[in-house]
Parts: sequence; structure tokens; C-alpha cells
Amino acid sequence: MIRCYFSDYHPIVLFIYFISVISFAIFLMHPVCLLISISAAISYLALLRIKKYMLAIFLIISIINPLFNHAGVTILFYLPTGNPFTLESLLYGIATSFMIITVIAWFCCYNKVVTSDKLLYLFGKLLPQLSLIISMVLRLIPLYKIRFNKIMHANPSDNAFKTAALVVSIMVTWSMETAIDTADSMKARGYGLPNRTTFSNYKLTTRDIVVSIGLVVMSGYLICSNKLAVTYIPIFNYTQSLPDFIIYTILCYTPIILSIMEELKWKYLISKI
Amino acid sequence: MPKPIKIILLLMPLTTLLLVDSNNYYFISLLLIIYAMLPFFIIYEKRKVQLRELVMIAVMIAIAVAGRSAFFMLPQIKPMVAIVIISGICLGAQSGFLIGTLSAFISNFIFGQGPWTIWQMFATGSIGFLAGILYYNNILMKTKTSICIFGGITTFFIYGGIVNLNSLMTNNIATIIAYYVYSIPFDLLHASSTIVFLYLIAIPMIEKIERIKTKYG
Amino acid sequence: MEVFNIENLTFKYPTKEKAALTDITLQIDKGEFILLCGQSGCGKTTLIKHLKPSLTPHGQTQGNIFYKSTNIKQVSTREDASEIGYVLQNPDNQIVTDKVWHELAFGLENLGIDKQQIRLRVAEMANFFGIQNWFYNDTASLSGGQKQLLNLASIIVMGVEVLILDEPTSQLDPISAVDFLETLKKINDELGITIILTEHRLEEVFKLVDKVIVMQDSKILFYDTPHNVCKNLIETQHPMANAMPTPARIAAALTHEELPFTIKSGRNLLYKLIGSTNILADNLIEKPIDTNFNILTLKDVFFRYTKDGNDILKGLSINVAQGEIYAILGGNGTGKSTLLNVIAKNLRPYRGKIKSSTKSIALLPQDPQVMFIKDTVSEELANNEISKLLNISHLLNFHPFDLSGGEQQKVALAKILLSNPDILLLDEPTKGLDCYFKAELAQILASLNKTIILVSHDIEFCAKYASRCGLYFDGQIISEGPPREFFSNNYFYTTSASRMCRHIISNAVTVKEVIETCQNQLK
Repeated sequence: MIRCYFSDYHPIVLFIYFISVISFAIFLMHPVCLLISISAAISYLALLRIKKYMLAIFLIISIINPLFNHAGVTILFYLPTGNPFTLESLLYGIATSFMIITVIAWFCCYNKVVTSDKLLYLFGKLLPQLSLIISMVLRLIPLYKIRFNKIMHANPSDNAFKTAALVVSIMVTWSMETAIDTADSMKARGYGLPNRTTFSNYKLTTRDIVVSIGLVVMSGYLICSNKLAVTYIPIFNYTQSLPDFIIYTILCYTPIILSIMEELKWKYLISKI
Repeated sequence: MPKPIKIILLLMPLTTLLLVDSNNYYFISLLLIIYAMLPFFIIYEKRKVQLRELVMIAVMIAIAVAGRSAFFMLPQIKPMVAIVIISGICLGAQSGFLIGTLSAFISNFIFGQGPWTIWQMFATGSIGFLAGILYYNNILMKTKTSICIFGGITTFFIYGGIVNLNSLMTNNIATIIAYYVYSIPFDLLHASSTIVFLYLIAIPMIEKIERIKTKYG
Repeated sequence: MEVFNIENLTFKYPTKEKAALTDITLQIDKGEFILLCGQSGCGKTTLIKHLKPSLTPHGQTQGNIFYKSTNIKQVSTREDASEIGYVLQNPDNQIVTDKVWHELAFGLENLGIDKQQIRLRVAEMANFFGIQNWFYNDTASLSGGQKQLLNLASIIVMGVEVLILDEPTSQLDPISAVDFLETLKKINDELGITIILTEHRLEEVFKLVDKVIVMQDSKILFYDTPHNVCKNLIETQHPMANAMPTPARIAAALTHEELPFTIKSGRNLLYKLIGSTNILADNLIEKPIDTNFNILTLKDVFFRYTKDGNDILKGLSINVAQGEIYAILGGNGTGKSTLLNVIAKNLRPYRGKIKSSTKSIALLPQDPQVMFIKDTVSEELANNEISKLLNISHLLNFHPFDLSGGEQQKVALAKILLSNPDILLLDEPTKGLDCYFKAELAQILASLNKTIILVSHDIEFCAKYASRCGLYFDGQIISEGPPREFFSNNYFYTTSASRMCRHIISNAVTVKEVIETCQNQLK
């Protein structure tokens, strides 16, 4: 199995990639685009070894959506309620369902690849104070989970609500008191001095810049050319353009293409030894 | 007004005009919500926040998030909105908004990010903001009844109302209505959980936080 | 050259009547390793907070403090942050960020140092402290000892000249505590950083430091070399003499020679005094515990937290007799607290039997804070009898969180006692307590006349006050017995006194026993 080498890229690259694929997944409802995006998302899920069965949601939405949508001209049959069931609404329902699943699939990949520290790095550039708060919160959550358990053990009761209220109440006092130490520790290390800098372990290398530019150019092209329009209702109507499809495919499959290239490079290097 | 906010105010109508043709209301509304939240974050960033306040904000968010997962086994208990309301009352509208949005954002590091994150952030943030502003203007009083009514109404209408907008994704008005109707019992349950929680802890918690604020004034 | 020069410092908190510091005059030289000790509440923390301007409490101050011959009030915030380091007591509370590398960089970020420079300094520190292997870890995943080491490293990395530490090991287990103290020694020796340390673990610290300050009731009692301070404390029969290193206490009772601080030199002294014969002191026979009246029996108890998890308790069996104090000793994070929770019925074992002749069992958790709900101690207790018994009547009007660690421990214990339980379970009851509180706690426990089961790291405390001890390892009690039998059977996991007289006196485990046996021999 191929490893996901794309995850090792600089957070900015990952961020540009996910912003574009998710935006396009919502925006490009052209059937071919939907197929490209969903196939890419599923391949990427496989590359990341995420096994999530999403057929259930798909089925539910694709059945429900057309049932409520009565617009369209090509009537297939009439529902018991007397409303027409049209081909257009069926197609539209299926397309929307595809879109929703694709977006969820992309977010599954996103959650695995863009870990909190990568996100914090990106935030830290733009909003340093907020990103420090987030970092502090992420540090406190595991500590507080342990504390929640300790308090629950020490104060058993039959009523779930009463326990929860008591636990939260003790938690607030305890944590606020101990947070004074945190504030002292920050003060002792000079928090609040002017010209604070932001440190990170990430280094932007040439390959990161090249891939970023590639992603931006492809996205820009797709936005500007705007040739992949589609309407489903009342009449199914679409435009198409082969170059746009190809570019969209390359954009969506970027992580997979890069991983395969990297894999081949390794194979080549090993064969040289 | 900071420059980035001016840019956002300019971008808001611009993107809407550009995209309105596409009929993709889901995408437009997501963008608009992000635009609406950004100024808050930027204002916060520009402000020189007191260290004590910064730490208190982090603590409240962490409690809201850890609480959401600590009571994960008891699905009827959802303390997050209640904690955000109390934060808004004690620490003010701006911090209330921040605590609300970041609680939703960070808890989805655990529960998984998705398009729903944006709606949840906006919903909880608005509730925290409202709590702060209404309390400051003496519309929301420091009494059990007042806080519980506020909690119930905001959880049902604002949280439920906004988070269910995620159904805009289906681009189909009938599905959206069906989704809203289908969600009513869940939202009612959520609202009543918030009410019970606020009834039990709101007043003592507000007093506790006030004590800490004076202790380390 | 002196780093700090304190002249007639007197300080009073706004809310208190008594002064917290009275007429303190003190010079601390560059590069010295100074220990500051004294009973809880004697003003140690207040004094060291005066040496760190950003943490100095508000109140009425008289007198002057000079830092490198400038008045400390004129020290800039930047100097304060980059030159004077301060480590607090609790390892958890002072960590700010979620990743180890970020915590190391935090102070440097505040100082506005550029990214390249931070990278270099952080790398240096990670190497010096051996942090490379957990450099990318979450701070939450570290052990208590690692956390405190990280706190130390993230202050040293800022290039401090002075390091002030407020009871940094009080929340650590004995092994991590000794590691931490030795790291301090290394920092002092190899980097020349001046260290001012407050500490309760005098046994381990005395041999490491250059000078010792003893404070009593807001004043300085002694300021001298460890040897002279130790000698003075023992000669004046000061209560803190009981906290002095074991070899010194034994030696002081037997000879007038130089006091030894290490087990090795203590053993040499004993060899010299009574020779290498292996004495079995016959006056030290223990009364066996009557185990016919067991109040609690655990038989082959197995426990794990999740279905697929590892067993925490692996067929644990234990009998506890009515009215005894049973101490469970053992390493950190191995499930001792879990065991107490199983006994308290907070957790349910999946196999094995628990029989007890009483239902009223109460557990005092390791963190007394989890018990406090109300705003004052009197609301928590609502019972004067118990507050008198535990000697906390004077605390009734305080908020529980405004009390010291030892006081909180006593209030929590009082709250547990409200339900008048038959069996009392104590989780690390001596954690963070000084020798005064420990002695008081022991006295209280003895006066309760209840069956007590406690888990602890505190070997000396268990040896002195338990009726039986059990060694917990790998989910089982692997040996048990009355303290003397138990500890004299152990080679390493035993009291300092026992380690000091191993193969010399084979069954003495406390300082008192060693002294008495030796005195008998010398007659």
C-alpha cells in the first residue's frame, strides 16, 4: 500500500488544497465534476486508511430529496399524494446527495490530515492571540477530562443531571483557581511584552511553493473559465469542456498523484542501491 | 475601523452579487457567515487582552468542550450552551462570542470538523454574545427564571434555527422544511437540557466566577 | 558577588493582621544553590515571590531588595522575564501550550526572539534535558516528572541567571522527585545558575545544596551551611529535626563527629561505631495483627477499564482486619488508586469477590479539591465536633480554595468523616505535606479508631504509622506484613534507616529503632 506523502507537505499547501476541493465540491454540481470529486475523495480516504461507510446517508438523502421536490418537466409517475415525480427532480436529488457525501468525505480526509497543530500554525500567522488561546484550550482539555472523571468518582449520585451540574460547578471553581498558576507562569515568562513572535517547526520548501502555485493556478483557471455550468430544474441542461474536466481531475487527485510519484521515486532510489 | 474589516465589508456584498446567479445558496450563506464572524476575531486580535481575561476565556472554553465529551455517555446532558451563556454574562459580550465560537470549533477537533462547524460556531457565538449584551443592558437579569428563559429560547430558536440551516445543502426548500420539522423534538430536548442545567448551576457559577474576578482583580 | 541583597524587608498582606515577612535581611551570592525551608505558612513563598517582581504580591512593604545592585522595583519586565526564572509547585497548572516544542518556545516568543534563534535555543535545551524523544508529543501525555522537567527547561531556555523554585517536587513521586532535584544540581554545577529552592523533602535536598535558610514565623531562624543548620536544628530539638536526613539524625544521637548526609557515609559511621556484625535486635518484636476479624476481604479481583484494555488488577487478594491501618505501597501509575476505587465500589471488578462486613466505606481522593462545593469551610462541614477533632476550627470562615494544601487535606478528611464511615480509604494522604502536617495527620488517623486503608509512596510515613504494609506490583499485592518485618525483608524498597543499617542491624527500620539498638550495643 502507498503511504500518504501529501500529509508531510507544508500546512499552507494542505489548506489551499482542502479549501479548493471542498469549495468546488459544493459549487460544481456538474455530474462529471461530482464523479471526479467523489472518486478522488474516496481514493484519498483509502490512501489515508479511513473506513467509513457513508452509503446509508447517501441512500436516505437521495430518496428523500426527490420526494419533496415536485418541480421539473419530465414526469415519471405520480406519488400517492397526487404530486408528480419528475426525472429532473430525481437527478437533482441524486446530484445533491452526491455533493453532500463528497463534502463529508473531504472533511474526513481533512480531519485526518490537517491536525490541530497544523491549523494552529496557519492561525498563528493571521490571528496569533486567538491561536494561543486555542493552544491553551487544547492543552487544558485532556487535563479537564481527567478532572471531570475524578470529580464524578468523588461525588456519586443517582440523578444524572444533578451529578452533571455538581461536577461542572466544582470544575469551574477548581479550574479557575488553578488557572491563576497558569497566568503566573505566563507572566513569569514575559507574556505581554511587546513584539511577540510566533515560532513553528514548519519550513516552506521549494516543493511546497511549487505545489501551492500549481493548486492556485488550477483553481483560478476553473473559476475564471466557468465552463462547467449545469441546471437541473426545471430542465436538465449543462455545458462542458474537456480541458476543465482534466484540470479539475488533476486538482482533486493532487495528493494521490504526489504520493504515487514519491513512491516511485523511493522504488527508483532503492533499485539504485 | 481596522483595515481588514473594511475589506470584509466590501467583500460581503461583492461575493453575494457574484454568486447569487449560481443559485448555490448554501455556499453563499456559508461565506456570509464566515464574513460575519471574521470582524469579531480581528477586533479581538487587535485588542490588548488582559492576561487574566485570556486565561479565563481559555478555561471556560476548555470546560465547555471537555464537558461536551465528558458527558458523551449521557446524551440528554449538553452543558455547552449553558456554559457559553454563563461566560457571556460573566465575561461580557465579546468574550461570550469568542467562547461560543471557539467552543464549537475546538470541540469539533474531537467530534470531527465538517460544514456544520461553521453553523455551530456562529450559533453558539451569537448566544454568548447576546447573553453578554442583554445582561449588560439589564434586559437579562441575574435570576434563575430570567436566565433559564433566555437559555431555552436561544437554544431552541438561535442554536436550532441556525444549525439546521446546514440543510440548505440539499438546495430544496421542501427538504429544508421537513428537516426543520424533524429537528423540533431534538431541539426541544436540547433546549430543556440547557434550561435544567442553567437552573441548577447558573447562579452559583456566576457568583463563583465573580469571586475569582475580585480575588485576582 | 551577590545576586540578591535584601535589607530589612517587612511585608504584610492587606487582608491579614500579622506580617508575612518580618525584618528579613539576606544576601544571596551568584552561583549558589540555596535551600529555603520552614513550616507551611512561615512566609517562604511570600519571600521568594518578592525576588520575582512580576509575581510579587500586593501589600504593605518596607525595606529594600536589590537585584544585582539595582533596586528590584527598577528591574524592567524584560529583565524580569529573561533573567529571573520561577517554577511553581504544580506541574500541570503551569504548562501553557499543547505541544512540548511549543512550551519550550513560549517564553522566547514572548521575548520577541526570531524564529531561527528560537530553533537553536530550543534544540539546545531539548538536548541538555534529554527531551528530544518527546519533543513533538502533547504536553498532556507526559508523566508528572516529565512535566516538571519541561517546566524547568522552558524557563532555563530563556537564558535565566537565577532560578527560583517553589516546592517543585511536592506533587511528584519519590523517584521523579530525586531525578528532578539532581537535574537542579546539574544545572547549578554545569551552567552556574543561581538556584533558590523551597522544599519539604529535606532528606534528599540537604546533600545537594550550598546553603540553607530556615524560616520560622515570618523571620529567618538560620542561614548557614547545611551541616551547621542540621546540627543546630537537632541540638535545639526543633520540630524540623525530624525532617533532617536519616544518617545525620542517627549520627547526631551517637557521636559528635561531622554529620553524614548520605546513606554511604552513614553506613561507614555505623561500621566504625558497632562493627560489621549482623545484629538482630531482640527488643524489636512486633505484636502480630489478629486477622481473624477481617472487616474487608478481596479475593482474586480482576479489573480493567475497557473490554479490550489491559488488566489493571490481576487477581488481587487482600485481608484487612478491623481497626488496623493498612498501607499499600508501590510505584506510580500502576493502579493503586484504581484499587481504592474498586474497594469504594466506584468501579466494578469483572471477576473475583469483595466481601466486607460494612457498607459504609469512604474514599478521600488524591485531590481534595474535588470535594469542595460550598463557599466556606463551615458550610462544607456544618459539624463542629469534627472540626475540633481535626483542629480546623480556625479555618471555618475561609473559602476552601484559599487554604494551603495541608489544610485542604484536613478539611476534605473532615468532610469524609461526616458520614461516619467504618472503613476510610486514603489516596496519597501525605502528598505535598511538610513534616508538621504529616505528624498531625498521623495523630488524627490514630485517634479516629477506624479501619484505614491508604495507598502511598511515602515509605517513611508508612513505616512509622501503619499497622501493616503491602507491596503492590503489577496488579497484585506481592508481599505484606507488619512494617518492621515488611521493610527489613525488602532490600531496596525500604526506609533510609533500614538501608543504612542493612547487614548491620537486620530488623530496625526507623531512626528511633536504629538509635536505641546502637545505644544498647555501645553500653
